[in-house]
This record gives sequence, structure tokens and C-alpha cells, in this order.
Amino acid sequence: MRVLEVRDLTDSTYIVRFERNDLEFKAGQHIILGLPGDHQMREYSIYSPTSEPYFEVLIKEVETGLVSRRLHWVKKGDILKFDGPFGFFTIDEKNIDSNNYLFIATGTGIAPFHSIAGSYPRLNYKILHGVRYAGEAYERSFYPADRYVLCASREEHGDFHGRVTDYLSSHGTGQANLVYLCGNCEMIYDVYDLLVAGGFNPDHIKTEVYF
Amino acid sequence: MKYHVITLGCQMNKSDSERISSVIEKMGYEWADMEQHADLLGVVACSVRQKAIDKVYTKIHKWNTWKNKKSLVTFITGCILPFDRERFLKLFDIIFQISELPQFPEMLRTYGVVTPFSLTSTPMPEGFNTLHFENNKITIVGSPVIMKKPETRISEFWHVKPVYQSSFEAFIPIQNGCDKFCTFCAVPYTRGREISRPSGEILEELKTLVEKGYKSITLLGQNVNSYGKDHISGEISFSALLENIGRYGDSSGKEFWVYFTSPHPRDMDDEVLEVISRYRCLAKQIHLPLQSGDDKVLIKMNRNHNLNDYRRIITSIKKYLPSATIFTDIIVGFTGETDEQFLNTHKAMEEFRFNMAYIARYSPRPGAASSRWEDDIPHAVKKERLHNLSNLLQEHSWQHNKNMVGKVFKVIVTGSDRRSGYSSGLTEGKIIVRFLTGENCRPGDFVYVRITSAAEFSTEGEIVNVYAEELKGV
Repeated sequence: MRVLEVRDLTDSTYIVRFERNDLEFKAGQHIILGLPGDHQMREYSIYSPTSEPYFEVLIKEVETGLVSRRLHWVKKGDILKFDGPFGFFTIDEKNIDSNNYLFIATGTGIAPFHSIAGSYPRLNYKILHGVRYAGEAYERSFYPADRYVLCASREEHGDFHGRVTDYLSSHGTGQANLVYLCGNCEMIYDVYDLLVAGGFNPDHIKTEVYF
Repeated sequence: MKYHVITLGCQMNKSDSERISSVIEKMGYEWADMEQHADLLGVVACSVRQKAIDKVYTKIHKWNTWKNKKSLVTFITGCILPFDRERFLKLFDIIFQISELPQFPEMLRTYGVVTPFSLTSTPMPEGFNTLHFENNKITIVGSPVIMKKPETRISEFWHVKPVYQSSFEAFIPIQNGCDKFCTFCAVPYTRGREISRPSGEILEELKTLVEKGYKSITLLGQNVNSYGKDHISGEISFSALLENIGRYGDSSGKEFWVYFTSPHPRDMDDEVLEVISRYRCLAKQIHLPLQSGDDKVLIKMNRNHNLNDYRRIITSIKKYLPSATIFTDIIVGFTGETDEQFLNTHKAMEEFRFNMAYIARYSPRPGAASSRWEDDIPHAVKKERLHNLSNLLQEHSWQHNKNMVGKVFKVIVTGSDRRSGYSSGLTEGKIIVRFLTGENCRPGDFVYVRITSAAEFSTEGEIVNVYAEELKGV
């Protein structure tokens, strides 16, 4: 797959845009990426909406990472090893009008929700995005202001000061009948416990663990 | 010239191995019972556990020392992780993906081995005449050649007629690869994407086997019940495939049992179970991997189902197939598994009372997502959890087997038992039965056995003559 551009969002987080070619995918799915000549491959959720003529992935450099650090240095025209799309972290298109979604992400776990929000303009959703610092709110202007809540745990510049679990404890799940969780496993476990303890049906919780 | 192949791991590998034998024997090689007598030595590798990979390293180091004394060619195929593939390239003479098996004769010729076949055969068409070590390209004598698409390669592999190892039991691959990405598993990286085999081919292979007298036929796939769900093949659904097999079974006038493994709970629906309930040849035995009885562990494993989903399937199995035995797979000591989470698996075992469970201690597989997480459960704890569940399984299996005592079961004879004068067999539900060898008691024969006693994982009985009335429910 050929690289079209790499753009930095923060010092350690960036987006790689690829030629779409004939790639058909559902918003929420992921791909596998790697560098030519290297056996290491990693899964990345597709960040861009299905309607775009390209596709993008959102990557955070992992300090000891074997792939994420090297992918940061790819340039326009480079060709990467690729497979996919894969995954079931998607929206049931048949019931799109009757469902009310709560998307909860930490860090780059926002990627599938960015794709979903952009792919289904009629979707009734709200996003809770958990980060440490407000500067990690990747491209928040993409979302309507009333649909995106930035929960910053280490400073008060977000919409809410605290973790997503703190926000849920004080605000609840609102009208949501489906909750999607994506990001680190600890957050997913904590939110899962909170939701189930509050009587939320576990069958209506979908998850995608990043690390 | 002689060959010997060591097959490690699952039934899929065993099935692949039968196709490998076919290709090698067509080149003029004969099977050698002892690896020391072979000129061509191969391994069908398994990457599910490190132990199997360690065995490969032991073997190849030994084989390579033999090269000082004799001319020997080594090869490896099967499930190989990219990490091991790089190391095997330096140790084995030939390494290929199983889908590239039809090209194996050409690989040997390229390597410089003159076989009876290669002396007479015509050159392979362009696109075939190359070794292939990377995803799409290989450089041989400086000329990179674009390889065929994975779906084309696997299709050619399926066309290879296998040399069946058994005269009554056979495996039919119906699907290859996996798109599920369970975090503990490396299969998506070793076998690639899900591709379904054409249903017409499957039915033809099955009919041929049945006509030859095969009695126990297993449909194989990494995710066997996701058959038809890939977007590449455009095939019918798994339940429709079973329906076609069931209809053939009814019309054939032959007695045989068809099994399938390994399904994923996410793709198991009532339609499949309902179809099985309607046809005699579709065996009433379901292998349904649980992996963990804890919802949060299932989340971390990326299984895409929870315990309730699993419970619903078990309820459906009991409804549609009340006589079915249920087998499962369980992993203990998955990264981060707490005592409480393990206890939930214990409780699930208590609830579902499996007839058989293949319980494994978690070990990280390089390449799988979980290999990047800390393997933080001590070995001793994993061992204790394995022991705990094994005891429970033993208890449940024994209870089930005791309930078989006094009843008559149709049994397929699988061979001689260790005890002199006794034969061994399997019920439709794959429960082991031992009995005094009688007339018409060759491997592959169906006999009726009244169970007289039960042990933890087997039963004992005596052959009986049964009349039509007694056969009801057998």
C-alpha cells in the first residue's frame, strides 16, 4: 500500500494516509501494517471515514515499539506491507436509526470512532475521549461540539477533569443503549464493571482492546 | 528414494500432511518409516505452542548433522510465525507456505534434486518456477517473479488429491485462514485470511470418500463455521453446506458420520444445529471452544462473545441435539487472569459439564497481540489451574460415562486395544469404548456395544446383536 502523506498530531502521535485503491472496509475495522523486509506487523484501526478516497491510520509511537517508531519515518511514495481489513468492531447498519451509541476511548482508541462518526452522518452518538493532557485530543474539531467530551486526567483543560470512569460515575450513560469501548484494557475493564454494576446489559457492550 | 515427514499439531496439519505425501509420492518417493532412511525429510510445523517449535529446532539440528554423511534435503511448511520463518530459512533447504504445495516438485528441481518425476516431467508454467519466501516475491537467479494470489494458491492446494493415512477416517479441508484475531493466537499471521473452499469440491471429495468406505469424515477449518462468510469465495453458508451433505447422506444408503472442527462461538447459529438434528450422517458431537469462562478475559482475548452468548449456544445444542457430546478448548493463566477470573472458568466448567476439554496453559506466541503483554501468571499457578480443571473434567466425564452403562451404542471400530483380544472404538459422540474383539470387527466397521462399565475417559462394553426396535435412539 502506497503512502500519500504523514502528518504529526503531537510529538509522538501521527497519521499515515494511504492510497485507497480498491480497499473496501467497514468503519471500525482494522488493518495490519509493516515495513518491507521486516516480519513485524501491527494492527491499526482505520481512522478515516469510508467515504474518503484515501484511508488513514492513527499511530502513537511506543517507546520500545518495533513498528510504530519506524512507521513515523515513512515518506510519501513509500510502499508498506499491508493486509486487511479485518474485525467486527462495527456498526449494525440495519438498526442505525434506532440505536443511541456511547463511544468511550482512551488515547488512539479514538481511531475507529473517528471513522464511524465520519462514515455515518445520521448516527446518534456521543464520544468520551480519555487522555492525560488536553493536547492529546486528536482533531476534536472533526466532531460536533455537543457529541465529544474530552476527559483529561492530568490537567484541567479538557471538558472534564478526570478519567472517563469518573465522568461516567457522575454523568451516567445518558440515553445510550449501546456502548463501545476501545483503548487500554484497564479502562475497558473499569468501564465494563461500572456499566454492569449499574445494570447495563453486558450484551450491549462492544470492546476492542489495544494494549 | 525415500521420504519421511513429521507432522506436528492439529488435525488441519494432519490433513495437509496427507496432501504433502501425495505430491511427494507422485515424484517417485516412497515413505520411510524411520527418518534415518529418508533422502527427503520434512516437518509440518505448528506454532500454537513453543514446545512444538522447540521440537522442530531439535530435529533440524540433528538432520543437518546427518548431511555430513549423506545427501539429504530438508523442508518445512505448516504454521510458521514470521520470527521462526527467518530462522528456519537458515536451517532448512526449502520452506514454503502450505498453499504453495503444488509447486513443491519445482522447488526440489530448483534445489537440484533429480527425482524420477523430474527426469520425465515437462517444465512448470511461468509463475510457478520459483521459490517463494516473502509475501509476494522471491528472487531466484536475480529475477523477481510476482506470485499468484493467496486464493488462487490455496485453491490449487485443495485440488491435490491426498494420500489418506487411514482406511476409514478422513479429513476434508473446507476453509483456510482466520480473520478473528484472538489476541493469544498467531494463526491469522501464519495461515492468512479466511478463504472458503468451493462447496461443490467439498461434496465431491466427501462422496468419493464415502464411496470408498470411509466412515468418519471431519470437515476442517481454522474457523470452520465461518465457512462462506469471507468475501472472496462467494460461497453458500455453513448450514447450507451441512444441509447438502446431509441430503447426500440420506440418499447414499451408506452409513458414515461427519464431524467438523474447529468452530468459533461467534459464528455458531441455531440453523447449523437444526440442520445437524435432521440428518443421521451429521454427527451429534460439537466442539465449541470456550477459552475462558470470564467475560473480561474473553474481552482481552478479543473473542467477540461473552459467557452469556456461549450459554445460549449450549442451550440450543441441548434443545436441538439432546444426545450430543460437547468438547471444548480452554486456556488457563492467560495474561492478567486473576484468581477470581479463573474461578469463573471453573464455574463455567461446572455449568457446562463438558465431555472433553483440551486445557492448555497460556504461553505467548510471537506475533500474536498478547505476546506484547506481560506473561504475568507464574508457571506454578498455571499448572495448578490446569490441574484443577483437569480434575473437574475427569469428574464430569466419568459421570457422563457412568450414565452410559447398560445402554447400547453404535460404535466405529478404530483399532486394537492395548489389552490383548480387545478392540477400541468411538461412539458417535467420540466417547472411547473398549470391547472384546468379535467377528466383523475390523477398523472402520460399525458394531453395537452394550456398555458394561465406565472409567474417567473411556467405557467398556460387549458387542451385541441388536434388532430394529432396540436401535431406536442408538
